[in-house]
Amino acid sequence: MSRMARTRTSGRGPRGSSTLLAVPGGIWMLVFFIVPILVVVWYSFGQKPGLYGTHDNSVLSLDRYGEALSGAFLLTFANTLQIAVIGTLICVLIAVPFSYWLAVKVTPKWRYVVLALVLVPYWTNFLIRTLGWQILLAPEGPVTVLLRQLGLVDAAFSMLYTKGAVQLGVVYNYLPLMILPIFVAMERLTPALREASKDLGAGRWGTFRQVTLPLAAPGIVGGVVLVFIPLMGDYITAQVLGGAKGNMVGQMIAGQFQQGQNWALGSAMSVTLILITLLSVVLVGAVGIVCGAILRARRRLPIERTAAAATAARTGTEVPA
Amino acid sequence: MTEHRIPKILVPRSREAEFTRRLFLTGVVGAGATLALAACAPDGANGGGSGSGGGSGTMRVYSWSGYDAPENVKGFAPGVAIDSYSSNEEMIAKLVAARGTSGYDIVIPTGVFVPQMAENQLLEKLDLSRLKNLGNVDAAFLGQAWDPDNTYTVPKYWGTTGFAYDTRVITRELVSWDDFIDAAKNEASGRTSLADDPGEICAILCFARGWDQSTQDEGELAKIRTFLVDELAQHISAFDSAPGSGAIPQGSQALVHTWNGEARRGIMASSEPDRWKWVLPTPDTNLWTDNWAIVKGAKNVDAAYEFIDYSLGLEQAVRNTEYVGYGTGIGAAEAQLAAADAPLLGMIFPSEEEKQRMYTGQINAAQQTRMEIVAEMKARAGA
Amino acid sequence: MTGTTRDRATNLSLRIFGILVLLFLFAPLLVILVYSFNSGRLLGAWEGFGVNAYQTAFSSPDILHAVGVSLRSSVVATLFATLLGSALGVAIGVRTGTVVSVIVGVLALVLVTPEIVQAVSLMPWLTSLSVDWGIAPLNDGILRLAIGHSLFATAVVSFLVRGRVRALDPALTEAAEDLYASRWNSFRQILLPQLAPAIGAGALMAFTLSLDNTIISAFVQTTGNTPWPVYVLSSLRSGLRPELAAMAAVMLIATLALLALAAAVLARGGSASSTARALVGSE
Repeated sequence: MSRMARTRTSGRGPRGSSTLLAVPGGIWMLVFFIVPILVVVWYSFGQKPGLYGTHDNSVLSLDRYGEALSGAFLLTFANTLQIAVIGTLICVLIAVPFSYWLAVKVTPKWRYVVLALVLVPYWTNFLIRTLGWQILLAPEGPVTVLLRQLGLVDAAFSMLYTKGAVQLGVVYNYLPLMILPIFVAMERLTPALREASKDLGAGRWGTFRQVTLPLAAPGIVGGVVLVFIPLMGDYITAQVLGGAKGNMVGQMIAGQFQQGQNWALGSAMSVTLILITLLSVVLVGAVGIVCGAILRARRRLPIERTAAAATAARTGTEVPA
Repeated sequence: MTEHRIPKILVPRSREAEFTRRLFLTGVVGAGATLALAACAPDGANGGGSGSGGGSGTMRVYSWSGYDAPENVKGFAPGVAIDSYSSNEEMIAKLVAARGTSGYDIVIPTGVFVPQMAENQLLEKLDLSRLKNLGNVDAAFLGQAWDPDNTYTVPKYWGTTGFAYDTRVITRELVSWDDFIDAAKNEASGRTSLADDPGEICAILCFARGWDQSTQDEGELAKIRTFLVDELAQHISAFDSAPGSGAIPQGSQALVHTWNGEARRGIMASSEPDRWKWVLPTPDTNLWTDNWAIVKGAKNVDAAYEFIDYSLGLEQAVRNTEYVGYGTGIGAAEAQLAAADAPLLGMIFPSEEEKQRMYTGQINAAQQTRMEIVAEMKARAGA
Repeated sequence: MTGTTRDRATNLSLRIFGILVLLFLFAPLLVILVYSFNSGRLLGAWEGFGVNAYQTAFSSPDILHAVGVSLRSSVVATLFATLLGSALGVAIGVRTGTVVSVIVGVLALVLVTPEIVQAVSLMPWLTSLSVDWGIAPLNDGILRLAIGHSLFATAVVSFLVRGRVRALDPALTEAAEDLYASRWNSFRQILLPQLAPAIGAGALMAFTLSLDNTIISAFVQTTGNTPWPVYVLSSLRSGLRPELAAMAAVMLIATLALLALAAAVLARGGSASSTARALVGSE
């Protein structure tokens, strides 16, 4: 065999040249991600020179950060954080029972059909989905007209362009991203595991709390991060459904570049947004780790009992429930 | 269980493999569908066919929303593609940021913005001899203060600013800017939209108080800030420069601060036009002119001149006014429309008494302050 | 068991809740489908039933052009993301060390950077590269969109591929080398087939992400190359017309039809439930 005759290539193996593989991607990220972001950081220390200038870095200061974090702009940061936190929480509250139902109660035959249905909205452009809500919530739209005919609201009532509409829109748009990881985590909950818990005298609530929830915890943390990050930067959902009431940081930043031509202020807002998002993710991660540890500690009990039960079954002895 | 797979933050550690397959299938389906669609789309769709394509040959206009009668656009043989903006500030921001690569040939700046745009090298000088139809325009509309020799611009439309309201929600009669402010704070609170234009928004209080709409007085500017940010913002539900195509016909707002043509278009599109009332408020209001201008570095200059000249034609001017709802300064077109008894003509051409109450502002050093005030107002409106 | 009735009540309420959530998820899609048959001029104001919106959609050069721009830029973005991301993924999968940590850090940062920040940082930078540095290709609208979309997608592909590489048994490649396979052959015959699912998943993720991208697109797009989502966004300003809903409906139906087709193909020799399981990737 000729292959046998060939001398072995340099002993470095595939690992040797693999660093080279990172070069094109590394350059790409450097040129189109790192440098532009650094330029924005640089702009953020500058100022707006005049009506027709976009940025000027001849005098460097932190004043733009002061502006970004003062008065009405600070309110927008708070507002965005509020919408994102409440939106993420509502997603969790809907996704946990829904995923539980899907993973545990729905027969396997239908389970994946339902999951596919959950994903269907995700295959539609998110702007189009949001426009569907805009039609539904408009003062002359089906929902409002129905409510008006039922005499529940007056002619001036409008759900569109309120904070409630924004909240509804973001929950809608990000819900599948929460359901998916939680479902995946809960699916591990085999009937045997629940039976074991039940046999050991745990009530339904006890089983849910001590078995189901700990298993779902990583999924919940994953979902929270998956929903929270894009939500912090999203402003289109809010703009479409909230009008002036849906002013989020993203829109404020866009405005500084698209209308105000105040690149310095817009940049300072951008850097602040990155920092807030990073901080929030670290915080969620930390909370997730702590909660996970607590839940794991609690879970140990039923699992030990299950093990004891198994041993008992084998040896034919009774185990007190 | 391998603990290092995929973005850890994105996936619950335990079931990454399944998640990956799901993503895969989500992707498969999405990708397949769109590729199939791509295959179905006619070639012209990608090549840039009539009036829309990406080819460098298409002449491009960056304009206010719905600013040309569709028949005029269709009837212009060389083809024209039109994008829209909400304010002069937005248009200027785009031109400045693109630094000559915006790709637009024509923009429609409001008169008062022209001197600074010219000074900042955003506009080409016009060769008026190439505009044969300029003779159609009444002398009164030429050589205005912002461009005395029409070096950079020729007029496209003139109009004014007021508000329209839904009489089902606001049952009393509104006539003044004070009435507008009062209704916005009461019956129409949370259902009031303002034109997305810093100058127009700041001018509301000026008109109501009888101050110069372009005031540079610091005390007045401070009062405008307090009024807009602390008093009015909380009642505003949208900043919308094109309520004529959505908010008015769909009834999604009850009180709409806008321009006369925009309001007229909305009322005409409404299924119940009688529900809406247009007000040219007392005591004062704006008189503005939007103008044709060629962008510095335009690639399709010949077609740009051709389109401007074509639009200044009598037939086109009549169509434009009828559709867009603003006067063109072409007297013959006005007479033709009056003879044909075009709908809501009174909204297009204010009476002499009303014209007495209109005046033109200017762009001065306080414009930056006005933009900041409105940015702050928008932040407060959403809070 | 005393809990039977209560169990039933719980099950029933869970089922009702589940169905309500599904209805919630489908409500706006149904609205779009229904309103795509609105014969009126404005999307939100129902005037009557008609299919003229579909005719308008497919004869509107603007709409077709926007969809075309979206598809073309998504294909290019997918190419960038798949090639660069796979290579990065292999590199950070097999090596460790400071450089790898830095790369992983950067990729993670890409994932958590809000889209609007990437958008506002790319816009002036791309203009600067093309105007000041004279890099003419960056004036190309499709390329600019593809670059903008490729960043997040590259990071996703890298992490998917890295996960796969790390899960591989190193003995595989070692065995190949012991059999004197050249490094290229070892890569092609051993590594690549193993990585294919991750690369494929990444590519398709990249494609869908790119197709849906609105915020970055709105900032980096050039005049005349407006992708579909940005076209829809700017139509908000000038009034939404039923033909937008019609095109959206067509795109959704096409997607679902392909899903059904994929299901039918997979169903040969399998039960309905296993088909469904396979379709959502949980076989």
